[in-house]
Amino acid sequence: MMLLMREILAMIAFASAMVFGIGGLVGLFRFPDPYSRMQAGSLCGTTAVFSIFLGTLILAPSAAMAARILLIIFFFLLSAPTGSYIVARFTWNAGTSQGKPLRNRIERIADKRQGGEAE
Amino acid sequence: MQVERAWRIIRFVITTIALFITWFLFTADFGLFSLTTGMVGSLLIAAITYEVFIARHQANLRFFIPHPFFLARYLFVIIFLLYQSSFRMLIAVITGRASPRIVHFRTRLRSDLARMILANSITFTPGTITLDLNDDHLTVHWFFCNTIHAKAVGESVKGRIERHIGKIWL
Amino acid sequence: MSLFILEVMKWFLLACAIVCLVRMFLGPTTADRLVALNILSSVTLAFLVLRGVVQQRVLYLDVALVYVIFGFLGFLAIARFLKDRLNDEEAE
Repeated sequence: MMLLMREILAMIAFASAMVFGIGGLVGLFRFPDPYSRMQAGSLCGTTAVFSIFLGTLILAPSAAMAARILLIIFFFLLSAPTGSYIVARFTWNAGTSQGKPLRNRIERIADKRQGGEAE
Repeated sequence: MQVERAWRIIRFVITTIALFITWFLFTADFGLFSLTTGMVGSLLIAAITYEVFIARHQANLRFFIPHPFFLARYLFVIIFLLYQSSFRMLIAVITGRASPRIVHFRTRLRSDLARMILANSITFTPGTITLDLNDDHLTVHWFFCNTIHAKAVGESVKGRIERHIGKIWL
Repeated sequence: MSLFILEVMKWFLLACAIVCLVRMFLGPTTADRLVALNILSSVTLAFLVLRGVVQQRVLYLDVALVYVIFGFLGFLAIARFLKDRLNDEEAE
């Protein structure tokens, strides 16, 4: 009885992981510019991976494993936004403008280099 | 001078405790050898890095010691918001309707740690990614933009989260 | 039953990784490739945890723990390196 309930809960978590994962990957191909791809991919990807962690936490066979998975979840919530922040910052510094990618990338980098030399 | 010295000692002790808790989380071992190694290592590393770990001007204990009850509640709030915003993103992927735009706003939070947590949290919630965090000024890419007025943007992007974080840290 | 669910998730994660690799291969700009790499690292993490639970070995979870903490440091290095190279190319 207990095992069946755990399996049903885990199945719900894995099903939501599949839905969000497929959504994120579709978004990765559907949107035209890097920012929007990043929005769809990193947000839905984070949710999908988080759901997988929840499912494995429910199915975890021993307390030692459950404790480790909890630790992994905690650090994942800290490190996943940091990772997407690094990518976003790279995209922004490379001068990709919103909506229309690569419109004035060369100008912006030229401006930045001039500013850097002036300092 | 006396205040300066006391503040230095407090920072050192807090850094040591934080390092030792992290060590204990990873080892999960009550053995004498493990505890001794962890304690000596924490003391040495804290002696070197407490100046970096907690900057001198962060002159309030509530800048980095969280309120435990609100912190626990915030964890559940952020998980709920994560699913909610993912659901909105899913709808946006299906319909293909969005208005991406880069916006700027300021935050009222004063502690560095709280600002970092705020920047990480709004990367989760409603379709925003932090591009830059400069003191209290945030640059954000917003996926469902409907206004560019800085105050209105700040309220609708971070208003709720900022109130939650304001209760945990200062 | 639960083993069957975990098997299905294993194949699903493999499909996700392949799609991310396709995006990395196609991506017109460097930023697109980095986005795909970011998602790929999350998928790897999920795969490690899943594998640990399937085989009931704690070792996989320890690897995943280290990966989640230090994974984004390598990522930071890659972004930094690419930024420098991009600036150099624009300057020439």
